[in-house]
Amino acid sequence: MGEFSRPASSKQINSLRLLAVLFFAISCVFAFIATVVEDVFFLRLATEAMIFGGLALSVDLLLGITGLLPLGQALFFGFGAYAAALILKNWTVSIWLVLLACMLSSALVGLVAGLIAIRSKGVYFALISFGLAQVVSKIVFNTVELGASDGIIGVPNAQILPGLSSGQPTVFFLFALMFIALVYSLLNYLMKTPYGRQLIAIKANEHRVAFLGFNTWRFKLSAFVLAASIAGTSGALYPMLRGFVSPELMFFQVSGNAIINVIVGGTGTLIGPLYGSALLTGLRSVVGSFTPHHQLVIGVLFMIVVILFPRGIIGYLAPMLDRRCQKGQGTVQQEARGG
Amino acid sequence: MAEALEWMQYVLAPQVINGASIGVAVVLMALGLTIIFGLLDVINMAHGEFYAMGAYAAVILIAIGIPFWWALLLTPLFMAVVGYAVERTLIQRVFHSKDRHTLTLLLTFGLAIVLEDVLKIAFGANPMRIETPIGGSIEVFGLFFPNYRMFVMGMGSAIVAAVWIFIFRTRVGAIVRAAAFDRHMTASLGVPVNKVYALTFALGVALAGIAGVLLAPIYSVFPTMGRDFVLIAFSVVIIGGMGSIKGAVIAGLLLTQIQSISSLYISPVWSDPLLFGCMVLVLMWRPQGLFGRLGHG
Repeated sequence: MGEFSRPASSKQINSLRLLAVLFFAISCVFAFIATVVEDVFFLRLATEAMIFGGLALSVDLLLGITGLLPLGQALFFGFGAYAAALILKNWTVSIWLVLLACMLSSALVGLVAGLIAIRSKGVYFALISFGLAQVVSKIVFNTVELGASDGIIGVPNAQILPGLSSGQPTVFFLFALMFIALVYSLLNYLMKTPYGRQLIAIKANEHRVAFLGFNTWRFKLSAFVLAASIAGTSGALYPMLRGFVSPELMFFQVSGNAIINVIVGGTGTLIGPLYGSALLTGLRSVVGSFTPHHQLVIGVLFMIVVILFPRGIIGYLAPMLDRRCQKGQGTVQQEARGG
Repeated sequence: MAEALEWMQYVLAPQVINGASIGVAVVLMALGLTIIFGLLDVINMAHGEFYAMGAYAAVILIAIGIPFWWALLLTPLFMAVVGYAVERTLIQRVFHSKDRHTLTLLLTFGLAIVLEDVLKIAFGANPMRIETPIGGSIEVFGLFFPNYRMFVMGMGSAIVAAVWIFIFRTRVGAIVRAAAFDRHMTASLGVPVNKVYALTFALGVALAGIAGVLLAPIYSVFPTMGRDFVLIAFSVVIIGGMGSIKGAVIAGLLLTQIQSISSLYISPVWSDPLLFGCMVLVLMWRPQGLFGRLGHG
């Protein structure tokens, strides 16, 4: 698993933190400028990038940290989106209650799916998560009560505080940014705890972890449930942004895009997937305004990254930054090359 | 008693035969997937797109006036060249990294995205059709079945048998099995293993192409036609055991029978969840699938 291995040196973690601070700083500056020039389109697009960034984070928790390749993470994302749409339409518009409900219910769905999928290893896991998502999306696509292929439209805005709602672009962007920052900090903190170390160890060598007397199944299942919950809660923000949900949210394309965001950004770096999501959401929108075949461009880009830079943008930038810093401090230049 | 016989004749038999004609095509797809996995450890996510490419190749060949039978012969040859090129130019590049499973899966996934869009650009998103090359129908059990479906069944079975004989009864097949079992040992005996890999990948892709041509007159041809079909093929491969040829054949025929007989009682909407349920049950009992891997026992 060398190509994806999480950088372990403390220096590298510093440069990752620097890149994380940079990411959130750029986002705040962007929000300020966009609000001043009264832009709506780019704020909405950036909010979407944040929402898909949450999905990418959940993929990175599984792929980059635990070493499980989820090909059906859109299942939980779509579930959260549908759950949020139904709650907003029928019960309450309070964003806090909606997010809480979606967080818990998608964790429950994740538990059921995890009990099925975690039984299998490696490529079997990948294919079973793929199959699960495919089947559920088909069921949703054919269920008239859920709007079938049309989905659910006319979802009302969610209320954050009295006077602040998801209908205000700046407010909702900042809310999504805060949510992502929270999830990012949580995962970043988790990686420093013994629990997070266990997950990394499972990725490095599952057999050895088992020989040391740990129950790897339990760790993998809990990571899966956590990832499902993150994906579901991110999905819950989607109908608040766009006002509708459709079965496409559960389709393979969403899972696939999340994986592309993670790989292009940098697997196992946590901040990389957020960069990847922001860059690629932007790229899709820009290329999409010229040609309907933007998937072609994204696909070629993705293949180039997989062949030539399997550690992704941040996976390459971070060691370079480290070397720069060390040079600046006058210490011996160290080739911090992993894998 | 007479009622039961009538039920079997008029209700069950048509479903079984229709299911078997699809089943043979599913087995062809699954064979390609399972051979590629058994030998190269590659999950070919682009398999459904290769299937669609095969169907489109047939559409083009027929459009320029080549008869269907020649298209049926030429398409797999063309797809084999495509497969060989893909293995040599793309998969070889990540094949030797430690993360082979993940990287090759991601690479073929990227390829699937690109191929799908290329097909959309080249042919448009609208479905196309090709004429059924054999018209008419024959009488079986007092019922009439389209000749073409019977032909698909026979042709598919012949190809499956040929692949079986090739892998298990020929010298080249023995080399393929040896390379799957122990690649270093095989290489040290003077076998050009990389070429064997590329040719095996080409064989798998050619099988997907044949399935595409055979089913093109039954279903319509469109860029995303491979998506649902490849899901069934993946279920078959998982149930049969990744890399097992026997498993792909048995599970392929069994699953398509379950699917077609169950459609008598439940809406076809539920057939995918049903297949998936079967897959989960099998995996709970045998997580590695029903049969062992190519070259292993």
